[in-house]
Amino acid sequence: MERINNPIARLFVYLGLTLFAVYSIIPFVWTALQSFKNFKDANSRTPKFIFEPTWDNYAELWLRSIPENGAMISYFIIAILLVLVCLLLFVEYIPVKSSYIYWFCAASFALLLWGIPQYVDVNKFYDYFINTVIVTVGTVVISISVGCLAGYSLSRYTGMAAVVVLISALAFRALPRLAFILPYYWIATALDLLDTRLLVIIVLVAVNQPFTIWMLRSFFMDIPKDLEESAMVDGANRLVAFWKVIIPIMWPGIISTALFSLLLSYNEFLLVRLLTVNNWTLPVAMSPYLGGEDPRHLMIAAAASVSATVPIVVVILLFQKHLVKGLAAGAVKG
Amino acid sequence: MKRSTFFAFAAPSIILMVLLMVVPLLISGWLSTQFLTFQTMKDGPQFVGTEHYVTILSDPRFWQSFRFTAAYTFITVPVRFFIGFVIALMLDQLTKTTRGVYLSIFLLPFIVVPVVGTLMFKQLFEPQGPIYYMLRQYFSYKLLYNEFIVKTLIIVHGVWYVTPYVIVTYFAGLQTLPKQLMEAASIDGATFMQKIRHIVVPHLSSLTVLIALISLMDSYRVFDSVFVLTERMNPIYKADTVMTYTFQTAVTLQRLGKSNAMALLTVVGIMIVLIPNLIMSYREQIEER
Repeated sequence: MERINNPIARLFVYLGLTLFAVYSIIPFVWTALQSFKNFKDANSRTPKFIFEPTWDNYAELWLRSIPENGAMISYFIIAILLVLVCLLLFVEYIPVKSSYIYWFCAASFALLLWGIPQYVDVNKFYDYFINTVIVTVGTVVISISVGCLAGYSLSRYTGMAAVVVLISALAFRALPRLAFILPYYWIATALDLLDTRLLVIIVLVAVNQPFTIWMLRSFFMDIPKDLEESAMVDGANRLVAFWKVIIPIMWPGIISTALFSLLLSYNEFLLVRLLTVNNWTLPVAMSPYLGGEDPRHLMIAAAASVSATVPIVVVILLFQKHLVKGLAAGAVKG
Repeated sequence: MKRSTFFAFAAPSIILMVLLMVVPLLISGWLSTQFLTFQTMKDGPQFVGTEHYVTILSDPRFWQSFRFTAAYTFITVPVRFFIGFVIALMLDQLTKTTRGVYLSIFLLPFIVVPVVGTLMFKQLFEPQGPIYYMLRQYFSYKLLYNEFIVKTLIIVHGVWYVTPYVIVTYFAGLQTLPKQLMEAASIDGATFMQKIRHIVVPHLSSLTVLIALISLMDSYRVFDSVFVLTERMNPIYKADTVMTYTFQTAVTLQRLGKSNAMALLTVVGIMIVLIPNLIMSYREQIEER
């Protein structure tokens, strides 16, 4: 649409957008404020916006006991994380092959996660965090590699079988989780898989699969057929052509899909809640704070909410381009 | 591509979906005719036939939850679309950098974990929260946390966390508006509202149908947010949706067979909404061949 030049109308546009921005962000601001308050400030009768901030709630959430040189350790961890985020942000400007930087960041992050409990007495919430990282990474890797093969073949095969697969996938995407969950529980008890990460990963991969193949297929449709056909004329078989020719140019689409797969598995509450007993992930780790009988829970719940949100916001900020593109592609193409 | 190659490539995905979606659905259908609790799981289920379906369909609480789900769907979906459309039009007026800042803020409720987002939303309405404080100035304690307020809260939250999705898709749709048509309209002296009425709305109509169907299905099976919001303040369970009622039947009452029957009834309900969508995409796929 062309630009409106009437100044009053423009003022109205900015006003509307700002009001909506306030509506979107106010729960986050308030929760973040609550998480830095002490008991008295958090429970005051009139809501307090100015107070003395404290890290106690986070310490109580993450740590069993506070180490002596706690400040130094936390500065050290924050410094490492900042360096990693900066590396990822400016990956295009560093004269090293970008895949090396991604691997380096992933390896150092894993090392950090493994190393922290050796020096600090961490609480259960840390275990939930580790669980979440393992479950989401596992789910994304498996669902993307299985989905890529399926999405590619669905975009190239023109027979009836492909239509049937696509339409039934669309139907599965719409079904409620509760229709599957008790059979899963029943089978998992029989196989003695209940409360394992493996079960959660398999189930999440299956649940995300319909969405993943639709999205990947729509990205594969954009790649001209001539590319792999010319490679196949040169003597490569289809698998080699797919791996050497198609995948390298598919990276942006794969990253977009991986981001959505990550969001879906990170957000899953119902399945994980019913299929695990102790090996919770972060959304399920919120459930002790849902009841709210204990007024102390209010700040801990706030701290837990912020802790579960910050990692995903950082990931999204790093890949925001891909998220918006994926949202647009998913909807415009169907 | 040959048929055999297609199946070779798609096999892992198809096997996964058959094993973990088709088979469980069939088991679920079988379990819905059985009496089963978590305790009797080891001994095996008892056959009760269609008894569960009869009790559910004559259960006033089920119909109450169904009515609330329907109300939730038919209120939230149009509101989301209206707000989403207006905000997308407004966003379109901005320059690229300011737009990015606003878009990141708008996306926050959408990307945050639904359970966590709801928990944050709820913090505002806790007795210590600012909105509760403001409401408290005008209403007595008894008027807060009644059925109407809790239901309104659920609906406002439903609008809050899905609108970003509508904004982004509409915004992407606006970028594909045919330029010549817009210019021709300007030359002919069409006003802003006329352009929206005669060019923008028809251009976005197919997109609207598509996301409306997705939105409808997602609202029908809403669970996470209602579960969190009603955990503490649910006056005589009047704010249950079909899914939270099913969850309670399974986990609190331990009637696993009955909850399976209920979930399958939801599947039937969703299918009724879904079938036009399926036929539409089927035609689309056939045309693409």
